[in-house]
Amino acid sequence: MRAFRYRVPTTIEQAVGALSERSRALAGGTDLITLMKAEIAAPEELINVKPLLPRGIEAPPAGLEIGALTTLAEIEQHPVVRRRYAALAEAASLAASPQIRNLATVGGNLLQRPRCWYYRNSRIDCWLKGGGECPARDGENRSHAILGAGPCVAVHPSDVAPALLAFDAALRVHGRGGERTVALADFFALPSDQRRRESTLGDDELILGLRLPPHPPETVSTYLKAMDRKTWSFALAGVACVLRLSGRKVAHARLVLSGVAPIPWRAEAAERHLLGAEASADRFAAAAEAAVQDAMPLRHNSYKVPLLKALIRNSLTALTDLACK
Amino acid sequence: MITRREGRAKVTGAARYACDARLPGLLFGRILRSPYPHARVARIDTARAAALPGVRAVLSASNSPAIEWQQSSRLFDATVRYIGDEVAALAAESPEIAEDALGLIDVRYEPLPFDLAGRRQKPKAEERGSIARGLREAQEVLEAEYRTQTALHNALEAHGCTALWQGDHLVVHESTQGIFAVRDEVAHKLGLAKERVRIITEHMGGGFGAKQVAWKHSVIAALLARAAGRPVQLMLDRNAENLASGNRNATVQKLRLGARRDGTLTAIDVRIDLEQGAYSTGGEDSDVIGTYLTLYKCANVRAEQTALATHLGPAVAFRAPGYAEGNFALESAIDELAERLGLDAVELRLRNYTSEDQREGKPFTSPDSLRRCIARVTSAVDWPRRRPGLGFAAHDWAAGGGWPPAEVRVEFRDGRGRLTVGAQDIGTGSRTALAQIAAEALGIPADAVEVALGDTAPRLYGPTSSGSATLATLAPAVQQAARAARERASAAAKRGDNPKDRSIRTCGAQAVELAVDRETGEVLLQRVLAAHDSGRIVNPLLHESQVIGGVTQAIGYALSEQRVVDARLGEVLNANLEDYKVPTVADIPQIVNLSESMPDAEANASGVKGCGEPPIIPTAAAIANAIYSATGVRVRELPITRDKLIKP
Repeated sequence: MRAFRYRVPTTIEQAVGALSERSRALAGGTDLITLMKAEIAAPEELINVKPLLPRGIEAPPAGLEIGALTTLAEIEQHPVVRRRYAALAEAASLAASPQIRNLATVGGNLLQRPRCWYYRNSRIDCWLKGGGECPARDGENRSHAILGAGPCVAVHPSDVAPALLAFDAALRVHGRGGERTVALADFFALPSDQRRRESTLGDDELILGLRLPPHPPETVSTYLKAMDRKTWSFALAGVACVLRLSGRKVAHARLVLSGVAPIPWRAEAAERHLLGAEASADRFAAAAEAAVQDAMPLRHNSYKVPLLKALIRNSLTALTDLACK
Repeated sequence: MITRREGRAKVTGAARYACDARLPGLLFGRILRSPYPHARVARIDTARAAALPGVRAVLSASNSPAIEWQQSSRLFDATVRYIGDEVAALAAESPEIAEDALGLIDVRYEPLPFDLAGRRQKPKAEERGSIARGLREAQEVLEAEYRTQTALHNALEAHGCTALWQGDHLVVHESTQGIFAVRDEVAHKLGLAKERVRIITEHMGGGFGAKQVAWKHSVIAALLARAAGRPVQLMLDRNAENLASGNRNATVQKLRLGARRDGTLTAIDVRIDLEQGAYSTGGEDSDVIGTYLTLYKCANVRAEQTALATHLGPAVAFRAPGYAEGNFALESAIDELAERLGLDAVELRLRNYTSEDQREGKPFTSPDSLRRCIARVTSAVDWPRRRPGLGFAAHDWAAGGGWPPAEVRVEFRDGRGRLTVGAQDIGTGSRTALAQIAAEALGIPADAVEVALGDTAPRLYGPTSSGSATLATLAPAVQQAARAARERASAAAKRGDNPKDRSIRTCGAQAVELAVDRETGEVLLQRVLAAHDSGRIVNPLLHESQVIGGVTQAIGYALSEQRVVDARLGEVLNANLEDYKVPTVADIPQIVNLSESMPDAEANASGVKGCGEPPIIPTAAAIANAIYSATGVRVRELPITRDKLIKP
């Protein structure tokens, strides 16, 4: 780890003023510190934002406000989240280990970097780290992307981000010009040559919190995740599914995939297959097919295609059973 | 129930491990490792590192003795042969300074071509009868290829030590399963008389075979401590642990089994390649052919194994080395053969039962114990009521009978005993079991016996904790010394030899119940049932711990663990506990230990045999057989991950 300065500002404005491409905000630190230990990240200064940013969940009659410093454990255990936003509670509970969930914040979770073993190995050059090529594309890529892969084939590691996207979350962000709101769907963007990371957050911006819109009480949701073992692993594939039925007809559907693309991946084609249609096994299978119609598996990850389809079908079936109870 | 005597100390953190030695003036050592799989070290400049405030000693080829290592190499060799190979080392006032200083060592490498496919070494072959005849006599021949992966030990505690000099005597607090092996090797490498080296292992956090030999870090720590004039602690980090401290070698096993219609095996023919890595560590020579030669009665056997030298980290023994690998292939193949013959898989095994060691030409000391283990497991799962998802495998293990010599001492005063042995507790609870043996002979309660172990200073030689040997080696001597001490307050005893005309083995059987979700490829383990012959079971709780631990490690081997190497780079991609998937508690189903105490009076006077290794051996095959039973998919390659089971 490189030496760094450490600063504890007293106001958000001070914190934002201190942020630049050479410094990083420190909250839970569960990702940043590991990146620094591996010398993948080497900020000159760490800005401790823990005394400054909001922490906790507010559940007014409509919607949900989640402070940026809220831990994954707090999300997982919150009674309203569990009741009304089940996919989010389930996603939080399936992330990492209890120790990490007690420390990791939701704001940091959205900003965590890929777990690609080429990216994380400081001896190996890669495009995402500023190099020329992606060594995973023709390398050991069983955990890599089947959708949306460009110059980088790593997958986004977050479990809660797909769930938040499936609930149409928006972010409150603070920068030098003050506060702005951005849809989470616009916050994530495939990395490009000009911006080799997975979010559009500015170097001098802080996430203050998330806002989830209200949804009708008959809405049901779930998050399914396939791993290499039963727990404490990143997703090989996952799906956050939010569903609302009107009678047997699908009135609302959101499917957001994890573990299969460089950013959390909304399966809009699948949603279109569902909307207005009768909930049925055939329809779910068709939606699952639509979700992977653009899949481009690499040498070692073609298993993710049937796996993802199964998770989508299973999530829709489980939610339909729940909705019809 | 007698519980593990150091349990409270371990749970509360009071137990002292190699890295808990906090000595005055302690320095922290770190090793610089090669970033190339094969290269010449053209130049090393350590000046910048040595100049960093807080750095107290720097060692490289230029200022340290050219100690010969692993036959063809040196402590710091001019050629590095895998990513992780030792290049230089230093000691500093803190681990952080030491880590920073490593980055200041300037090394110019000249990369050389590297080879991951491997250079073939001299084969090791054994043959009995005639394979040609055996195949001619066969009415059914199964031919198949099985593959096993490179597995990493990942003991909870990494390799490492704390070394200090007291005048011209060296004391090393080492995490080792062989204090005398390390003492002799360190003394030899440093050119010291053995008596001037003392190794202490009070507690250790697992070894699983990877700590049965002396590694470079011990000698490096001693040299750094001498150069700095202060004690040095040198613990490997998890990355180094996964690159440079041993592994279970990958195998490719091509085999043919011939049988008559009635199931009689007429031929076993196997050729095995095993990946050895860059060096021969002395502990890597795993006997993969072993079980092919001994588990079943067969007149015609040809078994050959060939090591392949590659530019990857060296292999070393890993809990039941060779047998875990060989058993997966042989016991999968026996099930495949049974299906071809239309015979019940357990019945086929029983029809080829042997009560003698065909390799040694001697009868077993416990000829019926495997049959008893098979009966216990098959009756517990109601085997005749075959159902999808039920799998079975039997196993044998060449060791477990104890490895003399050893010497122990017992003192007995005022109703209290004190036992001193020269072995270490690898973590199995040796103190507790040995206290029980001594207490029994002294006629006092076990908690009235104090046990001193894990120190070479008393000069009572004890065996390395390998081959499931510790208790079986020591118990008879402890018993003898304790009996004598009742008469005359203090007595020593030496472990007698094992019987010459009998073969001692351990063996067992396991069954697995599971389900497979073909849509997602997920294996859902429901139960593992295990019965193993460990001779007399001295402490049922500790015995069960070994069964649970062995099966748990085997579940990782069967389903999730594998070292992944990028062939273009020679780089291990998952040298960490995030990507190298050891099973979690959530992955482990109920494990039922059905083992019965079977005192083996022919083996030794205590009737005791080892139980550390056997439970890891048959699980992978039992799982593969259960998966076939559940799905009809025969997976011949470990680990059995989702991609091998998912319906496309």
